Amino acid sequence: MNFNINFALLAPEILLTVLAFVIIIMGLLISNKSKNMLGYLSAAGLLAALVYVIGNGMVEKVPYFYDSLVVDPLSQVFKLIFLIVSLMAVIGSIEYFKDNRNQDEYYALILLATVGMMVVASANDLIALFVGFELASMSTYVLAGFEKKNPASLEAALKYFIIGSLSSALMLFGMSLIYGITGTTNIPGIIEFFKAAPLMAESSLGVLAMIFLVAGFGFKMALVPFHMWAPDTYEGSPSVISSLLAAGSKKMGFVAAFRVLVLALVAIRADVQVTFAILAIITMTYGNVVAISQRSIKRMLAYSSIAQAGYIALAFVVTTPMSIAGGVLLALGHALMKGGAFIAVAVVGYMVLSDNKNAKNIDDIENFAGLGKRAPITALGFLVFFLALAGIPPTAGFVGKLFLFYSITIEAISLSSSWLFLVVIIAILNSALSIYYYARVIKYMYVLPPQGEKIKEPTAYVVAILIAVVGTIGIGLYPEPFINMAMNAAQVLGV
Amino acid sequence: MAGLISLMILISLAGALITFLSRTREQARTIALITSGISLAISLLIFSRFDSSISTIQFLESYPWIPSIGVTLKFGLDGIGMPLVLLSNIIIPLTVFFAWGETKQANRFYGLILLELTGVMGVFTSLDFFVFYIFWEIVLIPMYFLISIWGGPRKEYAAIKFFIYTHVASLVMLLAIFALYFNALAITRTPSFDMFGLLKSYQVMDGDLIKGVISLKDAVFIGLLFGFIVKMPAVPFHTWLPDAHVEAPTAGSVILAALLLKMGGYGLFRVILPILPYSESPSKMITLMAIIGVLSILYGTFLALAQRDLKKMVAYSSISHMGYVTLGAAALVPLSVSGAMYQQFSHGLITGILFMSCGVIQHSAGTRIIHDLGGIAKYMPKLTFVMLAGFLASLGLPGMSGFIAEFLVLLNSYFTLPTFVILALFGIVFTAGYHLWAMQRAVFGTFNEKLGHIHDGANYEIASMAILVLLVIYFGINPNPVLNMMTVNAEELLKSVFLRGVMT
Repeated sequence: MNFNINFALLAPEILLTVLAFVIIIMGLLISNKSKNMLGYLSAAGLLAALVYVIGNGMVEKVPYFYDSLVVDPLSQVFKLIFLIVSLMAVIGSIEYFKDNRNQDEYYALILLATVGMMVVASANDLIALFVGFELASMSTYVLAGFEKKNPASLEAALKYFIIGSLSSALMLFGMSLIYGITGTTNIPGIIEFFKAAPLMAESSLGVLAMIFLVAGFGFKMALVPFHMWAPDTYEGSPSVISSLLAAGSKKMGFVAAFRVLVLALVAIRADVQVTFAILAIITMTYGNVVAISQRSIKRMLAYSSIAQAGYIALAFVVTTPMSIAGGVLLALGHALMKGGAFIAVAVVGYMVLSDNKNAKNIDDIENFAGLGKRAPITALGFLVFFLALAGIPPTAGFVGKLFLFYSITIEAISLSSSWLFLVVIIAILNSALSIYYYARVIKYMYVLPPQGEKIKEPTAYVVAILIAVVGTIGIGLYPEPFINMAMNAAQVLGV
Repeated sequence: MAGLISLMILISLAGALITFLSRTREQARTIALITSGISLAISLLIFSRFDSSISTIQFLESYPWIPSIGVTLKFGLDGIGMPLVLLSNIIIPLTVFFAWGETKQANRFYGLILLELTGVMGVFTSLDFFVFYIFWEIVLIPMYFLISIWGGPRKEYAAIKFFIYTHVASLVMLLAIFALYFNALAITRTPSFDMFGLLKSYQVMDGDLIKGVISLKDAVFIGLLFGFIVKMPAVPFHTWLPDAHVEAPTAGSVILAALLLKMGGYGLFRVILPILPYSESPSKMITLMAIIGVLSILYGTFLALAQRDLKKMVAYSSISHMGYVTLGAAALVPLSVSGAMYQQFSHGLITGILFMSCGVIQHSAGTRIIHDLGGIAKYMPKLTFVMLAGFLASLGLPGMSGFIAEFLVLLNSYFTLPTFVILALFGIVFTAGYHLWAMQRAVFGTFNEKLGHIHDGANYEIASMAILVLLVIYFGINPNPVLNMMTVNAEELLKSVFLRGVMT
């Protein structure tokens, strides 16, 4: 046994865990008034972790704790995503939860949720994966209901909790079946077993385990038909938490799916391509079509995020390194644009509430009228995020979609399979369809007359939005390093 | 000298951003005018150093951008792109100057106009299909806002129709571009979006898109053609144009008609003609293009004749005039092709005058309905003068640039497409008809007292129109500065046609 392990690569997780406990303890000691500084403290911690992760770059694969966690390029990319999203959410929260006396718990929970997501990104063992999932989920259940006096927030939290628990149960059941078949919880070990004994994977027990896993991850990724919780939860939660959920915690499902499902699919070589293609297409089409009729912008963003999950799920259809790289790229882009968009909704909420303290339906599209004049930076942020979500160049959303569609086309050509072409064409048509509902909001923001005075946008929100805008456009203008990063991450899986 | 083209694009982009940030209207319009002026100066410098006797790409620049999928920022000019870059740089400063009096959200207004300049220059100079497509799409967004913010009563409908219609066409074009790309990738094994490389790879493309229904070659060709003719626009894909024009502000209409429509025509020369001889059945495709061209000429003319709104009439006249571009390109005779290119340049100048006239009349008389106008010449002598010049140029009066273009197209197309030319000739009569009839009813005759007190156009408006009139006359008398380079490139383009023996 070698106890001389270098924990340097796990420093971000350790730092954030320690910080979370420090914040809880500080919350007991300091006055309610000075709790506002906790937000800055958490932001500083997340920033430090982020800088550290970027500084380490694309490390070679390093296993920890009897191979139950690994640090490799894939985990690094997703840690980057989770840290950026949490950082934006925390910066936004500095304003959103200003003078709230429970801030200590709030920030500690966000940090713990982030640690949970990061553990999932690194998990190399089903148990570690599950523990990470639960840590992140438990924290976010509380966060979704953090506006205790707002019935919508409580409803959101309860729905999220019940469905989240169900999905955890399904996932756990799937895992236990797999353990029963293979006798190990180590992911590479499982893959080895299935490769050696493909018949076991195709047995009814193996298929059942796979279905449970797909369902469990599907809930986290909000793929149709496992999506029902997402619109209600995203709509009801505080906007900054919706940002964390849609942009961050959803990606947790994807990284888990990349680690477990992709390898399993490759190992069993079963004919599940079509299943995933249908799942992806239904998800994106359903998300886009339903988004059209929404009046609540948060709900619209929720459906659009279902649609985006559908695009990312295309990566599972062909499972080539390139398609997974495309999925990773789109996940990164989506984290920035969706995270930024939800925080921008928080500014609109702030604006509406400063007009009228008892306003209802804060994110109704009518409140966006003339936003370009009332809150120019927020409106600009929305413009960039919406164009990016619609996949218009030069933005991160465009690069991600391009790479995904590109990889499937290459696969379609090399297999000369015409139904794969059809998948790409449906995805592109979907992308065109989505422009409609984004353009509608842009029209409200820039064309219709404003409903009130210009407001001063709180600095915290502006900083968070600008981080997302710079990231979205930066990736669009200079995608090469990010493409390399995603390709590195995809190669880890060795598909 | 390397870097002039990217410098020009960057300056207009930077100008657009600074204009957005400017605080007062005065600052916004000054910055916009100065930036577009600098861009014009650079384009004139390029023009003066341009060697019009060779058909190769000049001022070539190339910078790596996304090497992993083979995207390069590659810019260059030849006789096809040069006149259009010049045209863009003439139209934009004049549009800014014409719209000097804009008060509503001035910084955004002028900023969007400069952004249009960036977009169209990018389209006319980029030699990488990926970059080309990005600029092609960038052009859409400012125009959407120009229509939807500063437009007329039905602006929202018109803006969204414009956006979705042309965006769908662009997506079809994008699919065709990707088909070319993947075809080349399968052969060379190195990813590249280089425009000429991809067009060359079309020659060796084979296979079926849907077996027994349509071959891949035909599908790609039609996809690209569709992308371009919707933009031009050609009948029957023209329905977005009248709506967009009627609702757009004058500056928007000028840019739309003078520059955005030219992108479609540019695509015909840059992309369609080089691959036409290698398509599955060239003669079918030529007939298809000729039918579209003649249909646009005739249908545009007849609809223009029936319009009550002066601006809508001008919009339909654009459709009709762009029909000559398609017809000339389809005829595949060096002089008909260069005539079609010249029609693009000339129509850009002329249509600017026409739309500006409509704008001045709307502003002064409060209506553009021909029936409600009448006799405004009495109070608007300066406008009448430039407007008459514009209308005469548009109907093809000898001595003005439109005549040369249309004459070249009709005369030379007769060699290969005689039936179509004879049909198109009928259009000419009616073209003259609707122009003169509209002038007569709207501008001359007895003054309609219901209009009340009307005043002449502002000096900056008349001045920008007068400059265009002078250019139209200059290029009508001395077309050589731009026609020479067009002819050189048209001959080069058609070499492959003769090699393949497509046309006898």
